[in-house]
Amino acid sequence: MKEVIKKEILYDLREAIKILEKREDKDFQELKVLSNHAIEDVAAHKDLDVISLTVLIYSIYKVVNCLNDQDYKDILLLLEKSENSLVRGNLGKYNSHIKKLFQIVEGCNAKVKEHLQDVMQAAKIKKGTILLEKGLSIGQAAGLMGLSNWDLQQYASKTNVFSNHHEAIPAVKRLQRAQKIFGVS
Amino acid sequence: MSEKKLFFDAGPIITLVMSRLSWILPKLKEQFNGEFYITPAVKYELIDRPLTISRFQFEALQVLKLIRDGTLKIYDKVPQQQATRLKNLANSSFKLNNKSVDLIQAGEIESVTSSLQEEDSAVVMDERTLRLFIENNKEMKSLLERRFKRTVSANSVKMNQFSQQLKDVKIIRSIELIALAYKLGFLKNYVPKKKNGNKLLINSILWAAKYNGCAVTPHEIEEIKNYLIK
Repeated sequence: MKEVIKKEILYDLREAIKILEKREDKDFQELKVLSNHAIEDVAAHKDLDVISLTVLIYSIYKVVNCLNDQDYKDILLLLEKSENSLVRGNLGKYNSHIKKLFQIVEGCNAKVKEHLQDVMQAAKIKKGTILLEKGLSIGQAAGLMGLSNWDLQQYASKTNVFSNHHEAIPAVKRLQRAQKIFGVS
Repeated sequence: MSEKKLFFDAGPIITLVMSRLSWILPKLKEQFNGEFYITPAVKYELIDRPLTISRFQFEALQVLKLIRDGTLKIYDKVPQQQATRLKNLANSSFKLNNKSVDLIQAGEIESVTSSLQEEDSAVVMDERTLRLFIENNKEMKSLLERRFKRTVSANSVKMNQFSQQLKDVKIIRSIELIALAYKLGFLKNYVPKKKNGNKLLINSILWAAKYNGCAVTPHEIEEIKNYLIK
């Protein structure tokens, strides 16, 4: 793992630990802010470990309010273990802790049945949409998050992601161009 | 005289299928009097990949049918080297914290580079990023600066090289195809028998395009609407 990636991941892990150290109502909001910070690392580094942690933080944010005390403690403990493993350079252990963290979140999701699609899929779509918002193309954003273009286009088109820009060519001029291409007067 | 060609990116086909308007394509092709093409990378995204995802399998089959019926053809002469070169140029144009930001994928640029090598051709693309990059790279820069809360540095030489090389590519979107379909009367059976029926139909089809993936602003929808009603 590159040093710059390790630094970003350690930052995100430490922030998540700080937020979850004490169970409070504001955890929810703080995790959301952290997850929005983390998505910028995804755009900058295109690294699978960064993507994985970003999706994990967003997923924890989505389920934090319905975690039972034991799951909450286990998540905190595993985040700390992940941090320690990464500091010591033990990537095998780090990956195994991250995997366990995903399992807890998935378990919680099965209990709450929040959406028709599971939390992981929702997290990927949500984060993919934020990458689109940042200016990445649909293919690039979908590719980074492991989604199909169909998934991302379907969701993002219902937000205002595709309408916050200035077109260089006026709409009527483009339509007239289309008419010319098709030989329609 | 060379045959007319229209290259489709994945986005417009997704928009039309999701809007339940893909049936206008064979009729438009007849009017076009040329060929509609998709590249292998676009086919993968439209058919091969969604066929493995239950929730989009039927959509993939609808696109497959368009190929079976001869409405869409696969273009097998994609200039891969040029596509890779242009992708690398685009993706090295912007830096975030001194790291280049990969904005587009090789597959997305295939339609554009294919059109570039064909004399009488155009591209249908709903995708905002690549279109802005080609048509209005200054807006691309300011979009990134607005969206990232970190320093984004732009290499204007590379940006301009990219836009310059693609400046002759004619781009239209799915919303223009839908507007044409209206103009050509393909949708006349949908006009409700009430006052301002045409207006209602136009409004509904244009917003359907937007809500199913076409990058179009509300202001543009108004402009197109006024133009069609005129």
